Amino acid sequence: MADLKKLSEKTPENELKKHIGLKASRTIGNTLIYILLIIMTVIWLTPFVCIVLQSFRCESTYIVGYVIPQQWGLDNYKALFQTDFPIWYRNTLITALCVSVLQTVIVLCMSYTLSRFRFKLRKPLMKFMLVLGLFPGMLTMIILYRVLKDLGLTQANAVPGLILVYIASSGMGYYISKGFFDTLPKSLDEAARIDGATRAQVLTKIILPLAKPIVIYTILTAFMGPFGDFVFARYISMNTSKGMNVAVGLWSWLTPDQVQYKYTMFCAGGVLVAIPVTILFLCLQKYYVEGVTGGAVKG
Amino acid sequence: MKKSLKLISLLLTLVMVLSLGACGGQKDPTTGSSAAPQGSTAAPQGSTSSGSQLAGTYDIKVWCPENAVSWTKEQIDSFNKSNTDGIVINATVEAVGEGDAATSMITDVEAGGDLFFFAQDQTARLIEAGALAKLGKAAAANVLENNEETSVIAVKSGDELYAYPLTSDNGFFMYYDKSVIPEADLGSMEKLLEDCEKAGKYFSFDVKNGWYVASFFFATGCSSEWEYDDNGKAIACRDNWNSANGLIAAKGLKAFVSSKAYNNSSSGADFAAATPSAIVVTGTWDYNTIKDILGDNLGAAELPSFTVDGKSYHLGSYTGCKLLGVKPQTDAVKQAVLHRLAQFLTNEECETKLFEQLGWGPANLAAREKASSPALTAFDAQKKYGTPQGQISGGWWDIAKAIATNVENATDEKGLQDALDIYKEALAGIIDMPEDEATAMTVIGAIAGTNWDTDFEMTQKPEGTWYTTEPIELKKGDEFKVRMGKSWDVNFGADNKVNGPNVVVEEDGWYFIKVVVNAGLTEGVISLEKNSPSTGWTVIGAIAGANWDKDFDMELQADGTYKSVDAFDLEAGAEFKVRQGQNWDNSWGNGTDNFKVETAGKFYVVFNPTTTEVSLSAE
Amino acid sequence: MKLYSDLEYLKLSKGQKFLYNLRCFFAAIPRWFAKIGIAIGRFFKNLFLGIGRELKDIAMTFVHGDWKTKISYVVMGFGNIARGQILRGLLFLAFEAVFIFYMVTTGVNWLSKLPTLGTVGPHEEYDEILDAYTKVYGDDSFKILLYGVLTIFFIIAFIYTWRMNIKQNQTAEKILATGKPLKSGKDDLRSLVDDSFHKTLLALPLTGILIFTVMPIVFMILVAFTNYDGAHNGFSNNLFTWVGLENFKQLLSFSDGNKVYTAAFGEILTWTLIWAFFATFTNYFLGMFVAMMINKKGIKIKKFWRTVLVLTIAIPQFISLLYVSKMFAQNGIVNGFLKDLGWIKDPLPFWTDPTWARFTVIIVNIWIGIPYLMLIATGILMNIPADLYESAKIDGASGFQQYAHITLPYMLFVTGPYLLTSFTGNMNNFNVIYLLTGGGPDKAWASAAGGSPGQTDLLITWLFKVTTGAESKYYQASVIGIMVFVVMALITVVVYGLLPSNKNEEDFQ
Repeated sequence: MADLKKLSEKTPENELKKHIGLKASRTIGNTLIYILLIIMTVIWLTPFVCIVLQSFRCESTYIVGYVIPQQWGLDNYKALFQTDFPIWYRNTLITALCVSVLQTVIVLCMSYTLSRFRFKLRKPLMKFMLVLGLFPGMLTMIILYRVLKDLGLTQANAVPGLILVYIASSGMGYYISKGFFDTLPKSLDEAARIDGATRAQVLTKIILPLAKPIVIYTILTAFMGPFGDFVFARYISMNTSKGMNVAVGLWSWLTPDQVQYKYTMFCAGGVLVAIPVTILFLCLQKYYVEGVTGGAVKG
Repeated sequence: MKKSLKLISLLLTLVMVLSLGACGGQKDPTTGSSAAPQGSTAAPQGSTSSGSQLAGTYDIKVWCPENAVSWTKEQIDSFNKSNTDGIVINATVEAVGEGDAATSMITDVEAGGDLFFFAQDQTARLIEAGALAKLGKAAAANVLENNEETSVIAVKSGDELYAYPLTSDNGFFMYYDKSVIPEADLGSMEKLLEDCEKAGKYFSFDVKNGWYVASFFFATGCSSEWEYDDNGKAIACRDNWNSANGLIAAKGLKAFVSSKAYNNSSSGADFAAATPSAIVVTGTWDYNTIKDILGDNLGAAELPSFTVDGKSYHLGSYTGCKLLGVKPQTDAVKQAVLHRLAQFLTNEECETKLFEQLGWGPANLAAREKASSPALTAFDAQKKYGTPQGQISGGWWDIAKAIATNVENATDEKGLQDALDIYKEALAGIIDMPEDEATAMTVIGAIAGTNWDTDFEMTQKPEGTWYTTEPIELKKGDEFKVRMGKSWDVNFGADNKVNGPNVVVEEDGWYFIKVVVNAGLTEGVISLEKNSPSTGWTVIGAIAGANWDKDFDMELQADGTYKSVDAFDLEAGAEFKVRQGQNWDNSWGNGTDNFKVETAGKFYVVFNPTTTEVSLSAE
Repeated sequence: MKLYSDLEYLKLSKGQKFLYNLRCFFAAIPRWFAKIGIAIGRFFKNLFLGIGRELKDIAMTFVHGDWKTKISYVVMGFGNIARGQILRGLLFLAFEAVFIFYMVTTGVNWLSKLPTLGTVGPHEEYDEILDAYTKVYGDDSFKILLYGVLTIFFIIAFIYTWRMNIKQNQTAEKILATGKPLKSGKDDLRSLVDDSFHKTLLALPLTGILIFTVMPIVFMILVAFTNYDGAHNGFSNNLFTWVGLENFKQLLSFSDGNKVYTAAFGEILTWTLIWAFFATFTNYFLGMFVAMMINKKGIKIKKFWRTVLVLTIAIPQFISLLYVSKMFAQNGIVNGFLKDLGWIKDPLPFWTDPTWARFTVIIVNIWIGIPYLMLIATGILMNIPADLYESAKIDGASGFQQYAHITLPYMLFVTGPYLLTSFTGNMNNFNVIYLLTGGGPDKAWASAAGGSPGQTDLLITWLFKVTTGAESKYYQASVIGIMVFVVMALITVVVYGLLPSNKNEEDFQ
C-alpha cells in the first residue's frame, strides 16, 4: 500500500519506476497471451493436420488408432480419380460458381432496394420475411424435392435443380448486405440524382464500386455454401452419382458398409475440397471481415 | 409508379403460370419421369408365348452396394448373353448402401431403382410403402424350391413372397483376436470380458440396436414374432420379452454393459481403433476388413453363453438374408422382365460367383453347399442358436434399441423390470399385442359345470396380476387351480406355491378369480374378488352431479348381475350408461343408446351382463 | 408499479436501473398480448372494410364507366388496348388467356380433389401369361395438395390482376377526362429503370421467395392437418387425407397414450433452449476475449493467429465436424491419447453419457464458433473511439473496469440484433448436432415418441429424424416445425422488447 501511494506521487523517479513496472506487467501479460494463443493454435489445427495425415495413409483404408501413417503415399488420391469424385467435384464447382454469381445479384438487388428506397410495402415486406425466416427450412425439403422432380431437375439433373433452389430463396439473406448499404451516405445518391442520373445509373455507377467489400463477401459465402450442403443436395440427387456434389458423395462413403474401404479416401477427398475453399477464403479474408463487421451487427 | 409495379407483377405471374402449366399439366400421375421412356421400349405385344413377348431392349436402374457393383454388371451382361427370349437389359448400376436404398425407395418409389439390394430388416417397411413388387406364382414357386425355410421367411408377408433371397448370411457372430483370447474361454461371456479387461481391450457388441440386443432375449427363450397380412400390414406382435425370462436376459445384459470392456459398436475396424477391441460381434461382411487387421490372429466363433444365478444361457441371434427387390412397375412386360432378371441373379451360378468375389454366403441351397469360409463356418455354428428373422415393423427397431440404455441406467432389479415395462408399453402403443398363450394364466377346476377339462381365460393387468376375463359362478366346495400356458408345468394352488393343493371355495357367489404371480414364477397369490379394476362395470352419465366425467363403481352380485355400490338421486330425463373397463365400445343403456330415467327417485343401477339389460332398482 | 420520470431514472444507481427496466419489461407483457389481440382485430376489421370498399368501387366503376371499361370486366386489357396502351392491354389479355386455359385443362381437376386429397388408391393386377403383378396407380395425394395450393395461389393472383385491370380503366378514364395523354408502353418501360427501379430490382428475388419459400411453407403447414406418413404416402400405398387438429391434439393433449410424445417434446425444447443459450454466449464472450487478446498492443503476427482460427470457417463442416466426432469416440484417438499419457484409466464417455455429450457439443461448438465472433469483435473493437479509453485511463480505471464500462456495453449495444439472430440460429443449428452426435446418446424412455429422439437432439434434428426415420411421420415433423416457429417467434418478440431502447442509444453518439 505504501509503495502504491508513493508511486502515485508524480516524481520523475516514480514515473520511471512506474514505466518499468508497467513494462514488466505488460511483458508478463503478453507472454501469457502468447501461451494461450499457441495452445489455441494447436487445438485448432490438430483435427485438420490429422485429416491431412490420414489422407496419405496407404497401409489400410479404415479408421485406425494412430495418426502418423506407417506407409506414406498418394494411393488415396489416385483412387479418388477411379471413382465419381471428379464428377462430384465438377458438379460442386458448377453449382458454386453459378450460385455465387446469381445469388450475389439477387442479394444485392434485394438489400440495395430495402436500404435505399422507401415505398409503401417496404416495412411489411421486411417483417414478412423475418416471419418466414423463423420457419425451419428443413421441412420444406420434401416439397422442394417434389417440385424439382416434376420439373425433371432431380437425380442426374440435380445440379440445375440445386442452383435453382439455392438462388430462389437467397433473397431472404439480405440482412448483412443491407446493413452495409445502410452505412453508405445517402447524399451520394441524391447528388447523382440531381445530376440527372437514373436510379439504375446510381446503382451501377456510384454504389456498386463502393460496395466492393460486401459484393466480395456475398460472392465468397455463396461460393462456400454448396461445398457443405449434404442434406438437401443428398435428397435431390436421390442416390444418383452423376447428380451428387462432393459433400453428398463423400458422405456416402461413411455409410457403415463403405466406411471400412473408403475412410482414407474420404479424408483425401476432404483435403481436396478444403484446399481451394480455404485458399480463396484466406485470400479474401479482409473482405469477409469487412462484410461481417460492417453488415452483420447492423442487420 | 403503381402502374409499372402492376406490369412487373403481371409479367412475373405470366412466367410463373407458364412454368406451372408445364408441370401441372401432367394429368396422369403414373407418368413418372423414370417410367415414361422405358414403357416405350417394350416389345410389340401380341405374340403367343410369353418368351417372345418379352423380347426387346430395356433401360433399367439397379441400386446395389458399392462393392457389388462389378458383380452386378457382369451378371447382367451374362444374362443378356444367355437368355433365349431376346431380352437386352441396358442397366445403369448405382452404388447405393443397403440402408440408403430402403429409405430412398420409401421416400420416392418412382425415383427408385428397378432392382435394388436391401437388408432384411427393411422388408416390412418396403412392403408397407408399396416399394416391392409381389412375386408371380411361378417365381414364388422357384424361390420356395431353391431356398431353405429360413430364407423364405425373410421375403414372406402373409402368404405372399415379395423379394428374392440373395444371401443367407445376414446374422452376427463373434470375431476375436487370437493373441488376446485363449480358445478355452470362448464359450463364456464372463471369461471373455475378463480377458478383455485384463488386456485393456474392448468387447464390442452393438447392444444399443434392436437387432443385436435380441441376442440376450433369445438366449433365455424369449421370442418376438410379428404377424403380417398379404399386403405387408402388421396385424399383431407376439412378444414376451417382458417376462420372467426376459428379466433374466436383462440381468445378463446388465452384467455385460456394466463391464469395463463393453464397447457399443459393431464395426470390424474397431480391432484397429485407438483403444482397440479384442472381440467384435458382427457378421460376414466385415471378414475382409478384420482379416486385414488381425491376419493370422483372426478367430471367428459362435457367440458365448452368459451366466445368471448359476445358470448359463447361450446367446442367440437373428439370422436372415440380404434380398433383391423388384420395384412395382405399371408396365406388365417390363415387370416380367425384371422378375426374370432377379431370378437369374439369385440362381446357383450367380450366387456362387457372389460368394467367390465378395464372400457373401449364398441363399440358394445348391450354391450354399459349395461355399465355405471361416466366417461362414462361424455363422453356421451360431445359426443353431439363431432365430430366423421374419418381418418386423419399422417402429420396433426404435423401441428395442432403447432397452440397453434403460438397462444400463437401472440400479436394481426393479430398474431392470422397468426397462422391460417401458419396452412393452411402447410396443403396445404401436401394435396390438395378443396375450401369449404360452405365458397366459388360466383357471381350471371343477367349477361352473366343468370338471378339470376347461381352461377359463384370464386377462393380465397390470403386469403380473391376472383376473378371469369373465366373472365365474362358484359354489361352496368347488375346487380349482391356476396354471400357465394350459400346462401343469407352472401351476398355483391354495398355499400360493407351485404345485400346491387345490383352492376350495368357501361361499357361493359370482367371482373374479385373481392371481398375482411374481417374476420368478415361484409364487402365485390367489384370491376371489367381487370386482376387477380392469374388467369391472361402472355407471357413467349426467347423474349425481357428474356430467359424463366420472365412473361410479358397480359390484358383482350373487346372481351374476352388477349393482351400483351407491344409490343415486335420479331426476326424470337424466341419462347414463353402464360400461366395462371404461370402454365405450362395451357400454350399454337402453340397448346401445343412453338409458333415460323416466320417473325421479333414488335408485340403484342394475346391469345384467348376459342380457345386456340395464334396469333401476328402488333403494 | 411506480413509474419514474426521466430525471428520477437518471438518479438511480446501475443496479436499480436494471431492476427498474426488468420490472418495466414484465409489466409490459400483458400489454403486448393486448396489443397483439387488438392488432389482429384491427387487421380483420380493415380487411372486411377494405373488401367492402373494393366491391363498391368495382360496382361503381362498372355503372359509371364507358363501354370500353365495361367490356374490360370480361375481356381483360380491352380498355387499355382501345385507349392505345397496347403493351399493357396485351399483357392483361395474355394473362387471362393463360389463366382460363390452365383452369380448364388442369386447375379445376386439382381443386375438385383438394377437399378429399384423392379417392382412388393404387392396386395390383395379375397377368397370367407373364406371371407378373403390375401396379396400377390411382390418385396422388401429394400432387393434389401441392397443385391445389398452387391453383389457389393462382386464383388469388388472377383476382388481383383483374381488379388492377378495372382500376386502370378507371384511372385512364379520369386522366383522359382532364385531357392529358396516357402513358405509353415506352414510358412504362423507362420508369422501370428509374422511378420504379425498386420494382425491377425486387421482381426476381420476390418471385423466387414466393415459389420456393412461401409456397413450401404453406404446404408444410397444411401437412400438419393431414395423416401424411410412411404408411400413407399418398401414392404407392395409401392415400392420405385431412384429419383436422388431430396431430396437434396428440402433442398437446397430455393424454396417457401421448404422454411420452409430450414429455419428449418438452425435454427436447428445454435442451434446445439451454443449448442455444450456451452456444451463443460462450462463443460471444470467448470470441470477444480472443479478439481482445489478438488485438492487444504488442502482440505480434496478428494475421497469423487470425488465419489459424478462421480455418474452421473455411473448411466445410461436414469434414471437420465428422472428423472431430470420430476423434472423441469411446475408442477414438482422444481417449487413446489420454490413456497413453496415463491420465485416465477408463475412456471418457464423450458421446455415450448424456451430460458428457451435451457438454462436449458445447465445447466443440466453441471451436467452430469463436472465429466468427473474433472477426466481428475485431471490427467493432477497432471502432470504439480511442479517446474513451484515454479519458478512462486518466480517471484511473483498471483494465477490467475499462472492459466492463466501455468495451462490453459498446459491444452489447452494437451486437444486440446479432445476438438475437445468433440465438435463433443456434436453436436451429442442425450441422453441429447432427454431425457430432447424430442426436445421441439414446433418450431411451422416449423411443416411442417418433423418430427415436436422443439426448442431444434439438427440435430441428428431431424433426429431421422424424421424417427420415422408420415411420416417416411427415405430419409429426410438420407439427414440430410449427412449434419451432411459435417458440422462435415468441423469443424474437420478447427479445426485441429487451433490446436497448432509444434512451441509451445517445450514449454513444
